[in-house]
Order: sequence, then C-alpha cells, then structure tokens
Amino acid sequence: MSAARWLLGGLGVLLGAYGAWLALTRQDTGQLLEIAVWLAAGVVLHDVVVAGVVLAGVVLGRRVLPRPWHAPATLALVVWGGVTLMAVPVLGRFGARPDNPTLLDRPYLGTWIALSVVTLAAVATAGAVRARRGRDT
Amino acid sequence: MRAPHPDDFTSRLRSPAVAARVGVWLGACFLICFATGLVSHWAQLPAPAIPFPTRPAWGYRVTQGLHVVTGCAAVPLMLVKLWAVYPRLFERVDLRAGRQALLVGLERASIGVLVAAAIFQLATGLANAAQWYPWSSFSFRTAHYALAWVAIGALVLHVAVKLPMIRAALGADVDDEALDRPGALRAGAVSRRALLRGTWAAAGIAVLATAGGTVPWLRQVSVLAVRTGEGPGGVPINKTAAAAGVLDTATDRGWALDVRVDGSVAARLTLADLRALPQHTVDLPIACVEGWSAQGRWSGVRVRDVVAAAGAAGGADVVVTSLQESGPFTRTVLPAAFVEDERTLLALDLAGEPLDLDHGFPVRVIAPNRPGVLQTKWVASLEVTT
Repeated sequence: MSAARWLLGGLGVLLGAYGAWLALTRQDTGQLLEIAVWLAAGVVLHDVVVAGVVLAGVVLGRRVLPRPWHAPATLALVVWGGVTLMAVPVLGRFGARPDNPTLLDRPYLGTWIALSVVTLAAVATAGAVRARRGRDT
Repeated sequence: MRAPHPDDFTSRLRSPAVAARVGVWLGACFLICFATGLVSHWAQLPAPAIPFPTRPAWGYRVTQGLHVVTGCAAVPLMLVKLWAVYPRLFERVDLRAGRQALLVGLERASIGVLVAAAIFQLATGLANAAQWYPWSSFSFRTAHYALAWVAIGALVLHVAVKLPMIRAALGADVDDEALDRPGALRAGAVSRRALLRGTWAAAGIAVLATAGGTVPWLRQVSVLAVRTGEGPGGVPINKTAAAAGVLDTATDRGWALDVRVDGSVAARLTLADLRALPQHTVDLPIACVEGWSAQGRWSGVRVRDVVAAAGAAGGADVVVTSLQESGPFTRTVLPAAFVEDERTLLALDLAGEPLDLDHGFPVRVIAPNRPGVLQTKWVASLEVTT
C-alpha cells in the first residue's frame, strides 16, 4: 500500500474516531444504547429484510415471469424500490399534526399508488413489445 | 442448511464495475451531505469562533436544500451499491492467515461501521425532514452530527483501502470481467449499462420528487416533498402556536417587547410602539433544517433600531427569547453581525398582512442566511450585554 493510501486511511480513522468521541461524550448511556440499537437495526433491516425480500422477489420473478419481462421488471424494481423506500416517512405521514395543515399536505399514498400502477403498466408494455419482437434478453 | 457463500450469487451485475460507478456518485452525495451538514452545524453554534456570514441571504437555503436532496438521492444509490457488493458479506475470513486475517477482519469491521453509520444517517435524516421522530431518547442533532463524522471517516478509510480496485474498475470498460468474482458467471436480466441507467433514473426521480420543497419551480413536480409550500402569506409553518403552547401569551393584549440592556429593562415596546418606529420591507427566505424553504416579503423594524431605541450601543450579540417556554430554541443568540445587518428585522407583517399567529405574531425575527430554527417566533424579549 502506498504512503498516500496509508495517509488517507489514517485520516479516515481520525475522522471516525472524532465522531465516536462526539457521540460518547455528548449522549448519556441510555441514549448511546438507543443509538447502538438503531445502528444495528439498520444493518439487519438492510442485510436481512431488504436484501432477503429482493432475493426472494427476483427468484419468484424469474419463475413466474416469461423471459421478455425480466429486463423491464428488473429496472422497475430498481426505480420503484428505491423511490418507495425513500418515501416511507411521507407515505406513512408519521409526522403529521392536526394543528399544522402546511405539513405533509400532499396526497402521498394516492401518488404512490399511481406511480406503482404506471410502473406495472410500463413493465407489462415493455415486456409485451419485447416478446413480439422475439427478443429474449 | 449451510451459510450462503459468495459463489451462490452468480449474477455478473454484482460486480466491482457496477459498485465502483455507483460508489462514485454515492460518495459524492455523502461528501455534499457532510459539507452542507457542517455548514448547518456552524450556523447553529451559539458562539462560533468564526462568525457565520450574513451574505448571501440565500446561502443557507441552498446548502440545506442540497443537504436534504442529496440525502434523498443517496437512498436508491446506496441500495444498488449494497446489492452489487452483497455477496462479499458472506466471504469467510481464514483465521489461520495470522496478520492477514487481522487486516481483513479490520477492513470488514470498517465496512460494518460504514454501512451502519450510512443507513443511520439516511434513516434519521429522512425521518427528521418529515418531522417524524421515532426515536425515544437520543438527540437527533447530536447523534446525526456525531455519526456524520463516523460515516465520512469510514468512507474515507474505505476509499483508501479500495483505491486500486476503484481505479481498475473505473479504468476498464463497464462490461470487463477481469475484476469479477469467480462465481459471477451468469448474465443478468439487464446489461450493466442498463442497470446503471436505471440507478441514475431512480436517483434523478428521488431528486425531482423532493427538491420542490426548496426549488419553487419544481413544486408541481415534487409529489413526494414534505410540503406543498402553501401556508399563510405563502410560507409554510414548522411549529404552530398551539404546538408551542403560546396561544394565550401571544394574543395577550398586554404583550410588550422587553429590551434589556446589561440586565435591566431599558425599554418596553408595545405593538403600537413598534409600529411607530421606522418600518422596512425585505425579501428574505425562511430556510429550515428540514430542507424546505420559502421566500417571504417581511415588514417590520430593524433589530438594530430597536437596540438603539433602548439606548444600547451597537456591535454586541443580542439574546432573543421567545414566549415559547420549552424547547431548545426558546433562547437564541443573534450574533452581532446579524444585529448590525440592515436586513435583520423584527417582522410585524408578512406579504402585507399582519403576521399570522403560527408565523410568530406579534413579532418574529427574520434575518438573512440563517437556519429557520433561529428565526425566533413570538419574541418576548431582547437582551443586550454591552
């Protein structure tokens, strides 16, 4: 490993250690415990739940969907899945307050359903076009 | 059932070629988030060593808007990035390899820290932007700030470790297989180029769907933004008078602004007194830490005029106290540079109408280039220490 990479790596360790020190000195034990739970839960949520659902979905899709639909379905999963996960806080409207009508004031669920329907329709159409053209990739 | 092995993941799409290309953009998002986050932290320090600038007035609007929008774009990018490298999670560490095993173990641990901190930052940031606080004890500001350093540190370390691989992957054609895992032999459902285009599309949609919270001409497009941008006087509300518990005190006819100089009340100004002082109108944005912003036309009296009317010399910080009795921003420091700025007002009107109760009636602070949480509403007193 070159000196520059060691230097960069060392810088990374220093920055990270500073962050750890900030957390450890500015939050009490109970708060640190909750932060630790959140950190672990995030990894489990991705590595087990999200990754597991995607794996199962892909296996299922490969069995159920005819070949021409595989490519459009894959791209749809990337776009729809990413945008959906990002939108969880607004879709659930968890922060909404009855006294504040200027907050979370869009029809998120309806929009998301429309987005999902459009995505499904796009996959169906693109797959049908590919099937007619006789392409299998 | 045995534990999964990297070779169980056979798709050629899960490759360094894809990971490096998505990683460049994800890294860029994290760097922008980190830099703009530091700006936001600096802006909120009560007594920064280097004073926060009052210009440009739209500065915080841009940096904090970027902060939240790049955080949104990072979600689909990170999902694809993690998907591309997922098989490596199941690589075995050969414990007989001694020093090598220790290095590999440390590297794996640093990846664990990076992933945990990155997910934490995106999850807590997105929730906070939607005013959702699903945690019970830790402070969002403290935790999000501390973990930002952890995430960026782990990211810098990760780049240092992977630099030769990143350079090789970016230097070769996207379809080159020289760097692939031995088990990655099956063609994916789409090409690598198509997967990357899909990823850019997802990130682009994430940006367009949320950026309207701060970019006015995207309002109609940003269907997933936390706000439409509507509100009294064309400005949304973060905290209502009811939520702040000031319904009675803010509407009390006996309300008057106390101006304290060196501990004693030097002036008590009623609403009529304030209206009798020279009135000024400024166009300034409210830009919140949650990433939304809105331009308003504010009218009222200059803070420096009020301070002078109380007989205090200029050039000092002013402590602004709200009628709101609890919360971290009930007492804020308005640094001297903002006090002296002619655009810093105690606003009485918004868009030509008296301030809405939820916008801080009877008076609120409006200053250029400041986070919304420091634009104190329902002002009770100003304190000058000379």
